[in-house]
Amino acid sequence: MSRSFTSAGTLDEAFAAIGAGARPVAGGTDLVVGARQGKAPLPEAIVAIDRIEALRVLDDTGGGLRIGALVTHEDVVASAAVRSRFTALADASAIVGSHATRANGTIGGNVMNASPAMDTGGPLLCLGATATLRSASGERVLSLDELWAGPGATTADAGELLTAIEVPAPAPGTGSAYVRLEYRRQMEIAVVGASAVVTLADGSVSDARVSITALSPTIRRVAEAERALVGGDGGDAGVAAAARAAAEGAAPISDVRASADYRTAMAEVVARRAIAAAIARAGGGDVPIPASDALYGA
Amino acid sequence: MADTDAAPPRPRFLRSDGKEKVTGAGRYTADLTLTGQAFAKFRYADHPHARITRLDTSKARALPGVVAVVTQDDLPDVRFGGLVQDRTLFAKDVVRFEGEIVAGVAALTEEIAAEAARQIEVDYEPLPVVSDFVAAMEPGVPPIHPDLASYEKDENVVADGNTMAYSTIVKGDADAGMAEADLVVRGRYVSDASQGVPIEPRAVVAQWRGDEVTIWSSTQVPYAAREGVAHTLQVPEANVRIVVPLLGGGFGAKCDLHFEAQVAALARAAGRPVKLVFSRREEFTAIAQRREGIVMEFETGVTREGRLVARRAKLVLDKGAYCGEGGFLGQMAAMHACGPYVIEHIFVEAFLNYTNNQPSGSVRAPTAPQVCWGLEQHMDEVARAIEMDPVELRRRSLIEQGAEGPTRQIFDEIGMKRTLERAVEMIGYERELPEDEGIGVAVGWWPCMPASSGAYVHLNGDGSGTIVTGAQENGSGAVMAMPMFVAEELGMRPEDFTILYQDTAAANWDMGSCGSQTTFNSGRAILAAAADVREQLLDAAAEELEVDRQDLELADGTVRVKGSPDRSVSVGDLAGAGTIHGKGSGDVPEVPGGDTGGCVGRLGNETFLAPQLITQAAHVKVDRATGVVRVLKVAAAHDSGMILNRSGADGQVTGGVVMGVGLALSEGTQLDDEGRQRNPALLDYKLVTSADTPEIEVDWIQVPAKGAGPRGSKGVGEPPQVPTAAAIANAIASVVGTQVRQLPMTPERVWAASRGAGA
Repeated sequence: MSRSFTSAGTLDEAFAAIGAGARPVAGGTDLVVGARQGKAPLPEAIVAIDRIEALRVLDDTGGGLRIGALVTHEDVVASAAVRSRFTALADASAIVGSHATRANGTIGGNVMNASPAMDTGGPLLCLGATATLRSASGERVLSLDELWAGPGATTADAGELLTAIEVPAPAPGTGSAYVRLEYRRQMEIAVVGASAVVTLADGSVSDARVSITALSPTIRRVAEAERALVGGDGGDAGVAAAARAAAEGAAPISDVRASADYRTAMAEVVARRAIAAAIARAGGGDVPIPASDALYGA
Repeated sequence: MADTDAAPPRPRFLRSDGKEKVTGAGRYTADLTLTGQAFAKFRYADHPHARITRLDTSKARALPGVVAVVTQDDLPDVRFGGLVQDRTLFAKDVVRFEGEIVAGVAALTEEIAAEAARQIEVDYEPLPVVSDFVAAMEPGVPPIHPDLASYEKDENVVADGNTMAYSTIVKGDADAGMAEADLVVRGRYVSDASQGVPIEPRAVVAQWRGDEVTIWSSTQVPYAAREGVAHTLQVPEANVRIVVPLLGGGFGAKCDLHFEAQVAALARAAGRPVKLVFSRREEFTAIAQRREGIVMEFETGVTREGRLVARRAKLVLDKGAYCGEGGFLGQMAAMHACGPYVIEHIFVEAFLNYTNNQPSGSVRAPTAPQVCWGLEQHMDEVARAIEMDPVELRRRSLIEQGAEGPTRQIFDEIGMKRTLERAVEMIGYERELPEDEGIGVAVGWWPCMPASSGAYVHLNGDGSGTIVTGAQENGSGAVMAMPMFVAEELGMRPEDFTILYQDTAAANWDMGSCGSQTTFNSGRAILAAAADVREQLLDAAAEELEVDRQDLELADGTVRVKGSPDRSVSVGDLAGAGTIHGKGSGDVPEVPGGDTGGCVGRLGNETFLAPQLITQAAHVKVDRATGVVRVLKVAAAHDSGMILNRSGADGQVTGGVVMGVGLALSEGTQLDDEGRQRNPALLDYKLVTSADTPEIEVDWIQVPAKGAGPRGSKGVGEPPQVPTAAAIANAIASVVGTQVRQLPMTPERVWAASRGAGA
């Protein structure tokens, strides 16, 4: 049972409440739903940060991107900058939950919830995003690798608030994609997901980043898969080899959603599709957003 | 869309509960708040099967804010259930599934009630858990109900060990028939359990006044609830009033007595109103109404020309821990293992077995979608075996007028074969498709359920009218359409009438919103009541206008002389004294006879009254690499007799098909080894969403049904779900090259089947 609820209008008010032990809530799509499902009771003290306008800004920084923690998935998908240069992130935000989830759920909440199945995590990781954490005493910037500590766990201190995600400018000739296995078209959670960011230069792959989602305790990049692509021509053989490597990097479990065998097999399929879509986009091809939909057809 | 038998033109009709539901103004049971109300919580079993050795409620009772704690020791020692009375309101000595209720608590807040329920101390001696419903009937498996022989039960129930009911459908000599066949084809199919999942979770509010109790409940069957409360609390039915506020869906899952009596017992003990609202988890685990798991083995003897010489089938069904209203499920499943086909020799047996799983009961066309899914895939296998197109095999073997059913019932004029041709036409069966797309066809049937009903139509002094019916509106619009029918009988407007419904103190007994029976039976009663009013109006007008009754007609809110519309008297004037009251029940249709003498465990489904006949064809796209299936289109052609309300009937097909897509592809309750549900939540029990909805094309083959519902109609609500999963299954098989033998056909299962076929 929640004992106190504060609504902060500014970052200072938020830090005051957090300093007094309150947990921040923005869209409430994880915290509230989780409490209703009995995952974890609502915290004793909650501070709503959804009125802090400064955190709601999505800045095109001229090449790179600064995404305020309160930017919703709907805002992300609507951003021309995201769609054109950080397409994998648009792929992900476009398929989080339902229309209602996307209208309320925030990028900050998604990242700080640290679920290994979060859709935006893989794209952000591959795009080299960093998290800006602020506290009453200062600010620090972490890579997402450094931020995520395990399922539902981060290295942020109790007094810290994620204020923004910064994404550096991708090199020219870069394309990206996120693909998720989808049992149904809305209200879905990733059972297997894969992200790819690929840069083409002079007809060969000059840089590649590949990550897998919902296949290990945290979302992780698979170096073997990336190595299989770099230096190659981005053709079917290289893509297939990279996808196999991505699947080998998985540590899947068997549960109510799928068997480990199926997850492993799907890791390869989904990784292959994500990499192929990223290469197609890098080469100027048109793969509609979200890539998942386009690849399943109809 | 072709409407071959156009209905008479009808003014645009808006259902009277539509606006409040769409705008959110409508009030459901959970929205009720009574002064002084307390909140109920249940303490559930801590083991799926165990003997209770100690039950101590003293800590819970001592908790401040607790106003009542009730266990079975506080209540009359009676058992309830449909065909077998095997359950008590709260556990008596033994718990038999995870959702068994050990005790109930009422407290001033929900939080206190939840804490008190936790503080009830229960010690158990665990008993062996029987979750595998096929193994349940093997020798040596301990009985789940050792006292089954001594329970009250229907005289036709054949019970043995953990088999609660054994039934057969028998015609001719199946062994001889198999010997005569050119080929014998066998197939085994397994369906998981699934759920009805109404979006409104169950809610019950009970309030006593002296010895009388009023219970507001989200039930589909208020009169069955009244009977259940009266029986289990040992009070007269007259003292129990069930009122249903708006009902937020049911799909069968809100049939039967469900928690009204426990809440009434808590309210009586507390001396104040008590309210229960289920969580989504409870809506999955504690209810005794889910679609049963079934293991099906089919064997069909066929000639090369597609004549079905013999059918053998063995069906094993998971009854779960208690009978509830679902005692008939085995025999119903057996009829669906025959299907709407002409088969010369039949031996089908069904075992409805007790387990320590959640009890199963009626969910929309109980047993039919799963058995149809198995049988219709088997029929496609039969067609393949004789190298015949599956539609052609059905064309040659479906029932028609004069044909003989599984127990030799003879059919009147029916549209079965016409539904096949129409569905095949709508889906474009013959056209070329991309290699990852396929079309499947399936047929099915469902009986009409005859039952008594009664209605009143009162005319008020100003000429408006009130319809009083025991019928229950589950959302389908069947009750909302009643003013339209009454107005047509009386030459009035639908908006001249309001409806008093869902209150057992006001209206006659009604079976409830189940068995596709609302228009079929309650509609008959309402039309009879309207005819009674019509007679009274004609008598009164004949006297007023001094003309012969024969010369009068009812139109435009008046009774007038045919051919001289200016000689008229308004209904308002005739009704001015407030003396015009009609009542009616109509004659209950009779179930047709047959040669049922060879059948064992006859529970009333050996023949089908006015069968509703269905063909659906599905067009799917299969992603072979992942097993993900998208349903692109479903074409549905139904014979439900004459259609009385086209938009309502179309709506039932649309909803039924969507529900069928879920059953086909994603909806399955997964159990652990001890019968506990692994996915009792909407994240992992996957309903389809509106985004997954295929194009759905509907047409009706309107053949007037003799001796059936009003104006030549049959039921409508359940059949739409019967063959959807089957049609999708056959479509998938046409792409992946093999049948998927487990339901739901999840991506993983389709992928595995596809790999098996490719190997």
